[in-house]
Amino acid sequence: MPASDWKKTDVMNVDQPTLTTAERLYLPQIFGGFKTTLRHMFSVHVRNKKVIQYPEQRRQLRKEIYRGVHRLNRDDQGRVACVACFMCETACPAHCIHIVGEESPWQDREKYPVQFDIDELRCIYCGMCEEACPVDAIELTPEFHLVGRSREEMIFDKEKLLMVYDRTKDEKPRKNPRITGY
Amino acid sequence: MEGHPNWRGQPIDWQGLTDVGRGGHRFVRRVASGRMSPIEVRIDGKDFAFRLTPMPKIIIDGKEIECRDKIPVLQAALEAGWDVPHYCYHPGLSVVASCRLCLMEMKMPHPQTKEMGWAPKLFPSCQTPVRDGLEVRFASDKVVENQKECMEYFLLNHPLDCPVCDQAGECYLQDYSLKFGEATSQMVEPKNKNPKKDIGSRTLLYSDRCVMCSRCVRFCDEVAGTGELGIINRGSRAEIDIFPGVPLENELQGNVVDVCPVGSLLDKDFLMDQRVWFLKSADSVCNGCATGCAIHVDHNKNQVWRLKPRFNPGVNDWWMCDEGRFDFKYVEDPNRLTRLTVRRGVEAQPADWSALDEVARLRLGGVVEQKGAGSIACMLSPFMSCEEAWLLATFVRSVDAKATLVMGPVPYEGEDRHFPVNGNGKPPKFTILKEKAPNRRGIEMILEALGGETPKLEDFLAKAGKGAYGAIWFVGGYPKAWVTKEIAAAGEKTGVTLVQDILPSKLTEGADVVIPSCAWVERSGCFVNHQGKIQPFEAAIKPPDGCHRDGNYLLQLTGESGLYNAARVRDRMSASIPAFGELHVAPEPPAHAH
Repeated sequence: MPASDWKKTDVMNVDQPTLTTAERLYLPQIFGGFKTTLRHMFSVHVRNKKVIQYPEQRRQLRKEIYRGVHRLNRDDQGRVACVACFMCETACPAHCIHIVGEESPWQDREKYPVQFDIDELRCIYCGMCEEACPVDAIELTPEFHLVGRSREEMIFDKEKLLMVYDRTKDEKPRKNPRITGY
Repeated sequence: MEGHPNWRGQPIDWQGLTDVGRGGHRFVRRVASGRMSPIEVRIDGKDFAFRLTPMPKIIIDGKEIECRDKIPVLQAALEAGWDVPHYCYHPGLSVVASCRLCLMEMKMPHPQTKEMGWAPKLFPSCQTPVRDGLEVRFASDKVVENQKECMEYFLLNHPLDCPVCDQAGECYLQDYSLKFGEATSQMVEPKNKNPKKDIGSRTLLYSDRCVMCSRCVRFCDEVAGTGELGIINRGSRAEIDIFPGVPLENELQGNVVDVCPVGSLLDKDFLMDQRVWFLKSADSVCNGCATGCAIHVDHNKNQVWRLKPRFNPGVNDWWMCDEGRFDFKYVEDPNRLTRLTVRRGVEAQPADWSALDEVARLRLGGVVEQKGAGSIACMLSPFMSCEEAWLLATFVRSVDAKATLVMGPVPYEGEDRHFPVNGNGKPPKFTILKEKAPNRRGIEMILEALGGETPKLEDFLAKAGKGAYGAIWFVGGYPKAWVTKEIAAAGEKTGVTLVQDILPSKLTEGADVVIPSCAWVERSGCFVNHQGKIQPFEAAIKPPDGCHRDGNYLLQLTGESGLYNAARVRDRMSASIPAFGELHVAPEPPAHAH
């Protein structure tokens, strides 16, 4: 094989598409935007229905499906239910989950997370992690008062996520998964 | 040894090719790949005759394909792009036809009427050699039914613990049950639970995930030659195991993990580190010894997690040794040099990379002005890629046309080890060389091409130890300690020393300029192995903070602008050293082979 043929890495330049005259005026887009703004300004009915006077007024949440702060469930022996399969990390579109798995110290389980961090600021609360989990270990709770004084504080580690479980298990009990461990 | 699978016609003996020279290799490859078709050729004044026997044509699923002679139908089908499920067949091992997954329908003459028709029974395609006019089919109800039943059988006792299994993502139980299996199982009894066994210092055996393909057993018997693994018990209670008190301790044991098509044999080093789908793979060449095994460097988050062999016929075939596989940890050594330091006066101070160009030119140029031509030297390392060595050598020669160029120490350890052990005089299937550097030949080629003053290392060190040189540029990059007493003495006696290395040593302590170098997984270029094959490799990860890729600053030193691109440097090199115009690139194995 000629020497220059192996894995060519030359940069290809692509030109941006040029705008048409109508697009370059920007006026149609501007008026289109104003239309929506004006409609919202003058429809009192919509305003009254949508606005809630928080914190005096609270929304009624559907607790089973509300996607708030995450929690890590405990199994029936009180251990972390997670098996460190990395499915949630794989499914996460925001890349906010970071797991370090290791061989578990227990006889009946193969693998467990020694570290499980979720960056709650980076998370988009889509619930993909919950969908992906094969043992229903990670779940989203109805908690939405998420406050912290620094970015570091908002990276929830394993202990903190287990604490969220302890706090919310009465409000939203763990589902009974068919498989509880590997 | 078998020929190249992409070669048309008869496989040509690789061993027999060594005497035709490099040009001969290229020519043979062209003839064999069908790009040229003379029968008699003349190389280096000698006549060589290549008799190309007609290739057998077989019909698979009604489509006629041409294939190499004397290979199994399965291999021919895989090479032609068919996805035929198989576990026990491996082109590097003997054929046992035990998994029954690759069964096919074949046309045979009727015993009485002699009329050709589909035989009522299925045949293992891995055990049936191709012959001209053979007609087989995989796309038939019988074959598909067999595949489904086989898959159900393989999964009878499988624990389905994919979430915690390291093989998940590259597991052929997963792939095949998706493509060829059924979603349901008729098994109602509780599954057999086989134990997890610690069979060797680097390998774990999960026998409940095993499909009894016996690839690992055959590998230990046929390639390693040590035969530690065996099958105990029979039928559904059969298990892979070691003999009592004899653990799996050969120097190729990492390969049993590679040949295992499922997650039964796992690497302790990689155990539960990463899920394989996160890994990105770079095509590289092992720098452990002069064999130059083609490898995949699997990395994620700027960290190398494992090395895997890449199919490279004639060099390492499918295998690699444990030494090369596991000894890459020095890349993450916390002591690595990460700052460019320049000694100004007594103290060594960190410097900016933009200053390197000027510093190197001034210091080396100053010595040449003071002491005259021939007073500077450069010690090239056999761990450098050819491109980097060439760039550095041309830079040093541009400062001083009479500069001395010398190759640094080539580490040797013990003796060459051939596998299988006790091979009874047969050609070895794998060799670990005692020469523990990847690029001695490449550096020699460059030194030869550049000519001038290129003494032997001992003579050079004896001379340098007496302070004969005004300045020396030392290049290290060795994974282990390499600075001998003589080299340290040469450094001490020399006025100006520039040291380009990855780990701190006695030499870097006293150096005037310390240039933090990169490990081979952070660089790109080519190595020339002991057979003279020029093999390119690409960079896998970024160098640690503070380091620059060697190619980049060496390119700047030579006065070029822009980023280092190994292929472009090779193009320039091939103008003066034509051998670098042609690379040995490992062929892609068939897409569905494993």
